[in-house]
Amino acid sequence: MAAPPGLKSGYAKEMTHTIRKILIANRGEIAVRVARGCRDLGIRSVAVYSEADRIAFHVRMADDAICIGPAPSNQSYLVHDAIIQAAKISGADAIHPGYGFLSENAEFARRCQDEGLIFIGPKPETIALLGDKLAARETAVKAKLPLVQGSDTDTSDLKQAIAAARKIGFPILVKAAAGGGGKGMRVVHSEDQFEESIRSAASEAKSAFGDSRVYLEKYLARPRHVEIQILCDQHGTCLYLGERECSIQRRHQKVVEESPSPIMTPELRTRMGSAAVEIARRSGYVGAGTVEFLVDEQRDFFFLEVNTRLQVEHPVTEMVTGIDLVREQIAIAEGRKLTLRQEDIQLRGHAIECRIYAEDPDNNFMPSTGTLNAYVIPAGPGVRVDSGVVAGSEIPIYYDPMIAKLVVWGTNRAEAVTRMKRALEEYRVSGVETTIGFHRVIMDNEKFLAGELSTRFLDEEYPDNVYRRVSDVVRERAALAVAIDKYVRERKISVSPPQQATRSNWAAWHRHGNLRSFKGSR
Amino acid sequence: MPRYNVEIDGREYDILLEYRSERFFATVNGTSFEVQHQPLGESRALLFIGHESLEVDVHSATGNGERTIFMKGIELPATIEEYAVAQMRKAAGISHHHAADNVLKAPMPGLVITLRVAPGDRVAKGTPLVVIEAMKMENIIKARADGIVKSIAVKPGQSVEKSDLLLEFE
Repeated sequence: MAAPPGLKSGYAKEMTHTIRKILIANRGEIAVRVARGCRDLGIRSVAVYSEADRIAFHVRMADDAICIGPAPSNQSYLVHDAIIQAAKISGADAIHPGYGFLSENAEFARRCQDEGLIFIGPKPETIALLGDKLAARETAVKAKLPLVQGSDTDTSDLKQAIAAARKIGFPILVKAAAGGGGKGMRVVHSEDQFEESIRSAASEAKSAFGDSRVYLEKYLARPRHVEIQILCDQHGTCLYLGERECSIQRRHQKVVEESPSPIMTPELRTRMGSAAVEIARRSGYVGAGTVEFLVDEQRDFFFLEVNTRLQVEHPVTEMVTGIDLVREQIAIAEGRKLTLRQEDIQLRGHAIECRIYAEDPDNNFMPSTGTLNAYVIPAGPGVRVDSGVVAGSEIPIYYDPMIAKLVVWGTNRAEAVTRMKRALEEYRVSGVETTIGFHRVIMDNEKFLAGELSTRFLDEEYPDNVYRRVSDVVRERAALAVAIDKYVRERKISVSPPQQATRSNWAAWHRHGNLRSFKGSR
Repeated sequence: MPRYNVEIDGREYDILLEYRSERFFATVNGTSFEVQHQPLGESRALLFIGHESLEVDVHSATGNGERTIFMKGIELPATIEEYAVAQMRKAAGISHHHAADNVLKAPMPGLVITLRVAPGDRVAKGTPLVVIEAMKMENIIKARADGIVKSIAVKPGQSVEKSDLLLEFE
């Protein structure tokens, strides 16, 4: 199906194009989430998969599925040609990139445009502008956003860098201009480590992004990470959908997120929201996006960066606003006007997300691969699980080890925490190590319960990196279970099914011939 | 009557089991329990401890006494032995972790990036030994205890499978 010619050269104003089939250029839980969103809207979906993902859950959840190459992502999920070709073969008219992979790749977004495909995301120029952290900082300055004191220039030149560093004062953060995911980032505590840190950050940035430019930022001691969800249509309407607090991180990656932030006030939300909208306008933003900020102990906020895609943690915003972000992304991509207004955005209750990784928290979050022998997800009131796997799934070594997101809602934060504990207890996973037990420990942490968070939370609270807290009762039960298991295996005792002392009502009902009508219908 | 010694988190449990009328009459460190066991397939089972219902999943990875238990959303490593065997082992002054601690095996499949130690190196608990890349991340494998590196079984650039031998300690 060919897109209207007007779409080739950017988004046509006042023109809508109904999307009928979306290719999802991703894998795992986000591909499943987008496929479900498509079904909710009556849109057909196309999964792409690598040879390692042939029977993966996202492949099963889509209407069509096309293999795009061998297991390593640089030979499959990152190959522009393979994905464009899959879209052509399947007759998709739009591509949803999810997060990671090609989601913030301006070149790929432009390629989609050139091929007459709708890229569900911002314009290529916006992605390019905000993807360059130095250019994004410049845009933020123009938008009069507060920024963490920094060099604001390429400081790959050492002499220039040292002068800039002295002006800012140590400790300092060295960051890659093309950066993300903690790559090419170094904390430098004193001048004697500076030269080595600049060199290693630049070399890591070069190998990760093909761009060695780095810049400097003042290192805040105990900041919170608070981000604003934005939603902008093609007609100049731009809204903020509240915040998410994502301070609990390991290796600069978020592990627990919540909305609202425990420190938020309506006044601060309005100021941060307006700042986010301002930078979105300045960069011609279209679609769903996230403006990240650091908030210090005085509740002063500083612009960090803009993520030009759907975030991993978007469900917490969906739960407190009642807005389906994927649905809005698709409507915006179709050229529709946002029907929501800022005053319609009301946050209700509290949502928390725990990221479930196939990792061993007690072993420095080492990835754990294998087969999920058992996999039962929690359910019930206020619980949402966005899972990329099912029982029997293999966890391959090639991709990110996040297998699911457990999200809960409560009328207030305390209720949400209690519900999260309940849901974590219901989760049954065997075959790989996971972060489920780690999250149970966090949900009992006094600082967490008090809402006293910072990006240093895990380092400060768990300096020995041990997250297992087991009560004596649980340990005793486990010992008993192991002993009985050994007895049952070795002596091969067979257990008859549970029997009631009296004749069951079901059997009596059967005897009275009440099942005859069912038999006839077989 | 079967008697076992179970160790979890360095704590020991002396467990006596008697099975009659499809029930276990258990004593754990002197405390009595009546337990019914209902298999749920594979390694899972539902235990009725008195009136408490508890779903457990007990895995044995190695075939010897090493177990992993999943219950109530947590995972616990345990070791089980016949009580008499444990008594003899203790009389001989051997910790049952002894043999396992002499070798370091790959915790996951991946690519060996660098070796941080050489044979003869004395290492302290927590010393980085080997860096393995898996899932696009570099994972530093550290020493679990103090020791001396005896030999190294892998080279940088080599692919390893889970449980492949990485190095041996003296």
